Amino acid sequence: MDFLRRNRVLASALSLLLLSLLLLSISVRAKPYRDPLAEIVMLVFSPLQGAAQWVGRGVAGAWSGYVYLVGARVENEHLKRRVAELEADVIRLGELERGNARMAELLRFRSGLEGTVRGARVVGRDPQHWFRTLIIDIGRADGVRPGLAVLAPGGVVGRITEVGRSASRVLLLTDNDSGIAAIVQRSRAGGIVQGARDRGCRMNYLRRDIDVAVGDRVVTSGLDGIFPKGILIGEITEISLEHRDLLRSASLEPSVRLADLEEVLVVEPAIDLEGVED
Amino acid sequence: MRSAVIVGLVACIGLLLQSTVFHGLGLGWIVPDVLLVLSVYLGLNQHSVAGSAGAFGLGYLQDAASGSPSGLNACGMLVVFVLVYLTCRRLWVDNVVSKVVLVFLASLIKATVVVLLLAALVPMRGGWSSVPGNLLTQAVFTAAVAPAVFWLLAISGIQAHRERD
Repeated sequence: MDFLRRNRVLASALSLLLLSLLLLSISVRAKPYRDPLAEIVMLVFSPLQGAAQWVGRGVAGAWSGYVYLVGARVENEHLKRRVAELEADVIRLGELERGNARMAELLRFRSGLEGTVRGARVVGRDPQHWFRTLIIDIGRADGVRPGLAVLAPGGVVGRITEVGRSASRVLLLTDNDSGIAAIVQRSRAGGIVQGARDRGCRMNYLRRDIDVAVGDRVVTSGLDGIFPKGILIGEITEISLEHRDLLRSASLEPSVRLADLEEVLVVEPAIDLEGVED
Repeated sequence: MRSAVIVGLVACIGLLLQSTVFHGLGLGWIVPDVLLVLSVYLGLNQHSVAGSAGAFGLGYLQDAASGSPSGLNACGMLVVFVLVYLTCRRLWVDNVVSKVVLVFLASLIKATVVVLLLAALVPMRGGWSSVPGNLLTQAVFTAAVAPAVFWLLAISGIQAHRERD
């Protein structure tokens, strides 16, 4: 008895272990065995389990929603970066496409020209307000010399005035010092196209008796020995009388958008008139 | 009395978690055995008839809630209680790591007892190949929740009831 008192914990545990085994034996053998405690536990626990399940699902839903949002935020940042990269690609490809189109147009235009034709890239514009000039990236080393015609697919651009080793200055047809022998395409009336700065250029010395109208196209006559014949200069926008009404003058809208030029052609005529004696 | 109420309350919460929320953790059918941790706690701290009765009660509650044959988990819990009770008289189990290891081993022992009893009493055909892996996984997860359960019981202010040697 004293032994049991001293080891009452072990004794009680072993008794309960035996009870457990007995219960187990009964519940396994006596089928269907319904444990009354199991029914009570089920009765008490089922509503609690339902509530816990509901809370658990809510928490799990909120958590998965949060994880989804975190994932969406990361994905959003990734997609934003990707969009920025793709936009840069689109811009680059657009530039390439436009450059290719310009080059193709330039080549088409070039194939119709006689003489030596050199392609050049516009690398600068006159930083001052007073002159209308461009800087191109070919010069003496490329065979460029002063006086050569500078053209674009749309028509006349100007002529070379200064030549450096690897760059040249182009005097635009809109500059005051520019002068190009020209004819009205429809009526063949001759004149000189001179620069008028902000107002584009003017065709001067048109005879009064020759038919000239607004909208007529003006092309190079080829008589100056600089520009090949038949290159478009511009379109007449206004006609006025000058020199005591003896002659007429016409305002022209240049056919080439000089402000947007990126590539030009420098044309050396097949027949060099510089060497011809008067 | 206060200790019994607290252990009972934690047991009910643990049972609820085991039967609901823990199944949503994506561990399949393997869930941490919170009641086993309580049984280990009783073996460590409640060296009394009430302690052994508590272990029996925990196992029986688990049987009643899980639909398993009555006495199956009660046997397992009591074996664990006795082994922990006998062990802690010879080993100093005081820090968290030793308690976690003890729970891990206790989980393996209880599961082994249950499996042996099932094998002996309930005819089962096959399905034993996955048992060792499942036992080990269950033990790991049970050991993982042990610190939280011990902490909960510690802050609830249950007084330990130890025998004088």
